[in-house]
Amino acid sequence: MPKRLTKWLLTAVLLYGCTTAQERKFKQYYLQGQLLYEKHCSNCHQPNGSGLKNLYPPLALSDFLKNNPEKTLCLMRHGLTGEVVVNNITFNQPMPGIPSLTDLEIAEIATYIYNSWGNKRGLVEVQEAERVLRSCIE
Amino acid sequence: MNDFLINTMAYRFSVWLVVTLNLLACQSSKNEKLPILGERKLDVVEVNGKKQIDTVYHTIAPFSFIDQDSQSVTHRTLTGKIYVADFFFTSCRTICPIMKTQMLRVYDSIQKYDDVVIVSHTIDPEHDDVARLHDFAAKLGVKSSKWHFVTGEKDSIYNLAQTSYFLTALEDKSEPDGFIHSGAFLLIDKKRRIRGKYDGTSEEDVNRLIKDIGILRKEYAQKAN
Repeated sequence: MPKRLTKWLLTAVLLYGCTTAQERKFKQYYLQGQLLYEKHCSNCHQPNGSGLKNLYPPLALSDFLKNNPEKTLCLMRHGLTGEVVVNNITFNQPMPGIPSLTDLEIAEIATYIYNSWGNKRGLVEVQEAERVLRSCIE
Repeated sequence: MNDFLINTMAYRFSVWLVVTLNLLACQSSKNEKLPILGERKLDVVEVNGKKQIDTVYHTIAPFSFIDQDSQSVTHRTLTGKIYVADFFFTSCRTICPIMKTQMLRVYDSIQKYDDVVIVSHTIDPEHDDVARLHDFAAKLGVKSSKWHFVTGEKDSIYNLAQTSYFLTALEDKSEPDGFIHSGAFLLIDKKRRIRGKYDGTSEEDVNRLIKDIGILRKEYAQKAN
């Protein structure tokens, strides 16, 4: 029994050691992104990303998020007004932007929402966010 | 021998006490009653020539608003109704979305009661006109027969919030959304008295509200019998 435990422990340590720098970075972004999401976004989009009826669009398995990766980063900072169609439902409730969010914070939120509730995209790097955010049309 | 007798009596008494207290406890939970909130005063009234002391409770002052379907909602149209009141505005992004998420749970829970409605007052009537409230209610998928979104004179809304419901509702341009307001839900009985105050952003507190609506309805059912 103790032998088995040692073996298990050894495997666990080895596995942890094998976590790449990239994976650790992903975890860091993801956890930080979750905190920011709960502070700035989840009031409307809900903690589980479901949105609220036809008022606030869902982020979970959202075709808008999937098809508009650049626009999604921009609207976090600059907001969005007018009609927007998400999963075949038309929404029209203005979303205020949060100009105080840094490039890194936007990358972290993006990493969180793009890898939660069934969404799977992987890490959104700060360099990518920087590039996209520079080119946003205000 | 004496000691034995005293001990037995003490034992019997304590058993009796426990049983009685338990019975009393059961009794009181059966007839559970909600408190009546706010100041009260004692008035002397004459009934059949005899002077009697009458307790006057705080009540919601008369009001007159208009809802998302352009129907008037006043203290008269709400006669005979229990209602849940709150204050919000449609462009609010801070606590209102959470309040509306929670109020939707209240809305679902009162579908089976024809004497309970919800009244949500906008504190931004300049922006939230009938059309905007109509749009907001439609997007939430709720009916005006059960959930009134009301607008009216700004001063009368603020006044009613502060002096009748004891809630904060202020315009403040330094706030992110331009307003300061309370996130409370209030339970109002058929005599326009406040019977409960709940945090509209807390799921637990809203569970308590849903339970209290049932208790208040029972109170009226018992009176009718």
